Amino acid sequence: MAESEEEVDVLVQRVVKDICNAFRRNPNIDEIGLIPCLEARYNRSPIVLVENKLGVESWCVKLLLPYVHNKLVLYRQRKLWLDRDALTDLTCTLLLLNPDFTTTWNVRRWVFQKIVQEICLPNSRNNSNSGMVSTEQMHRIIQDEMTVCSAAAGRYPSNYNAWSHRIWVLQHVAKCNLKILLDELSNTKYWVSTHVSDHSGFHYRQFLLKSVAGNSRSAAVTNTGSFLRKSSHKDHRTGLPAHPKDEGASVEAHTADVPLMIEEEMELCTDLIESYPGHEALWCHRRCVFYLWHCWNREHLQVLSDSNSRSDGTVNNLQMTTAGSYSSRGMDVDGAAETAKQSYTQETKRLKRGPSLDLHSLLEEHRFVDAILAGCSNSEQARFATAYRKWLDMVIGQ
Amino acid sequence: MKLYSLSVLYKGATGAKLLKAAYDVSSFSFFQRSSVQEFMTFTSQLIVDRSQIGSRAAVKEQDYLCHLCVRNDSLAGVVIADSEYPSRVCFTLLDKVLDEFSKQVDSIDWPSGSPDSIRYTGLDAYLSRYQDPREADPMSKVQAELDETKVILHNTMESLLDRGEKLDELVSKSEVLGTQSKAFYKTARKQNSCCEIM
Repeated sequence: MAESEEEVDVLVQRVVKDICNAFRRNPNIDEIGLIPCLEARYNRSPIVLVENKLGVESWCVKLLLPYVHNKLVLYRQRKLWLDRDALTDLTCTLLLLNPDFTTTWNVRRWVFQKIVQEICLPNSRNNSNSGMVSTEQMHRIIQDEMTVCSAAAGRYPSNYNAWSHRIWVLQHVAKCNLKILLDELSNTKYWVSTHVSDHSGFHYRQFLLKSVAGNSRSAAVTNTGSFLRKSSHKDHRTGLPAHPKDEGASVEAHTADVPLMIEEEMELCTDLIESYPGHEALWCHRRCVFYLWHCWNREHLQVLSDSNSRSDGTVNNLQMTTAGSYSSRGMDVDGAAETAKQSYTQETKRLKRGPSLDLHSLLEEHRFVDAILAGCSNSEQARFATAYRKWLDMVIGQ
Repeated sequence: MKLYSLSVLYKGATGAKLLKAAYDVSSFSFFQRSSVQEFMTFTSQLIVDRSQIGSRAAVKEQDYLCHLCVRNDSLAGVVIADSEYPSRVCFTLLDKVLDEFSKQVDSIDWPSGSPDSIRYTGLDAYLSRYQDPREADPMSKVQAELDETKVILHNTMESLLDRGEKLDELVSKSEVLGTQSKAFYKTARKQNSCCEIM
């Protein structure tokens, strides 16, 4: 049945009104869903409310989405005014119907920026002057937004927009606060373990790892004071001083144990690769984490070997002085090189010039790949393992 | 990483019969749940119907993987999972469930059984427990690999059908699917996707 543009407009406006009224009548609505329905029936509203679920008959969605999208675009172009409630309703509707809608996330970020400006003093670089109240509010707002992102990520595989938004919030609202980064690492561990083919989820963890490593690298202490004092988080991770009242804690006390963090991530990766064969996202993640480990080693061993240049600088010296080893099995690296000599002569000759801890890690990786290839019957897994080995040789082995 | 349904069926001479089933449709949108559930019943029955006695198969359909086991005594089981859930654990689950079912429900009752008449209540618990494959099957990493060469792989539902048979026809003829579900199918078919809007 052909309808004129005006009729469609009137109809859609009524539908949007029905939706907004439903929200006002029932503030506990937690879900909007589609009711598959090819055509409108008997002039009935396509909006159905059952318990706390709002249903939208599918025939009207193709009319609703362009209308709402258009409104948002006009608002952004300042050709149309929408108050905060209307804006929230619109973006909420859009996100629930289509969690991958880029413009909606943009609007959400814009709203966020306004909130942040309201709460924070515009020229304070760190939050220590804002008082405990605003820090707590901020923390809560950030947590809520993480939940929104998580919910959106769960409804759509590899939801790039949801995860990018999550990163944006950490960068621009949480200002990459160390405790929050570490909390997020902990909070997303179960999620990625149950979404092993979600590239975006793992990319998020890579962002967290790199940020923590970067945080620890720089000498600046940013936003760590009030958060860490209130933290009941694992103390060994954040290196909290024994006396929480110690306000003048040094930088070292507020940095994370990066090698431990990377080691745990590698363990998680190993565990998932072994449990769930044939998922490329896991192998991609392994590359990123190992590469991070490789770069971290290079930087830190360089510093140490420079200061050790007078001493023996033997393998064992380096192994003991480096903060945390990749594998705490206490293997004698020379011994390992000896037994692996037959297979890896080229590698060992080349790598003996470099930091020996790296060689140890690299051999471990090769052993891991061999074990996977020996035990797996999944052709994809074999393919990914072989490609990973190639990458090790080409990128790390150089 | 999810399991959506777990069903026990009987492959009789006249076709596959559903004996008992458990479903987890909580991850689907509220208004689609009943249709999704009906489709899983429809699919499970169809797969068992088109498979040989004494076979294992895995049928891929979009993001879902249907695992099937038809025993030599015509007792069959189907697990519908997403593409992340490890297949090995699905087949282990099927073996376990069918074994337990055959011990608790007399084989005489199978050919004429229905979900209302069959007294077996273990499926819901299994489905719930196996949502976390490592929780349910902690030894799965070290146990001997299931001989995966014996599993017949189908890349689509269509490949199970006889020549000339169309899925659309089977759907519209089905007694298992309600009018709402059939409409759902039509809509999804039109948009060339299932459970997605655009």
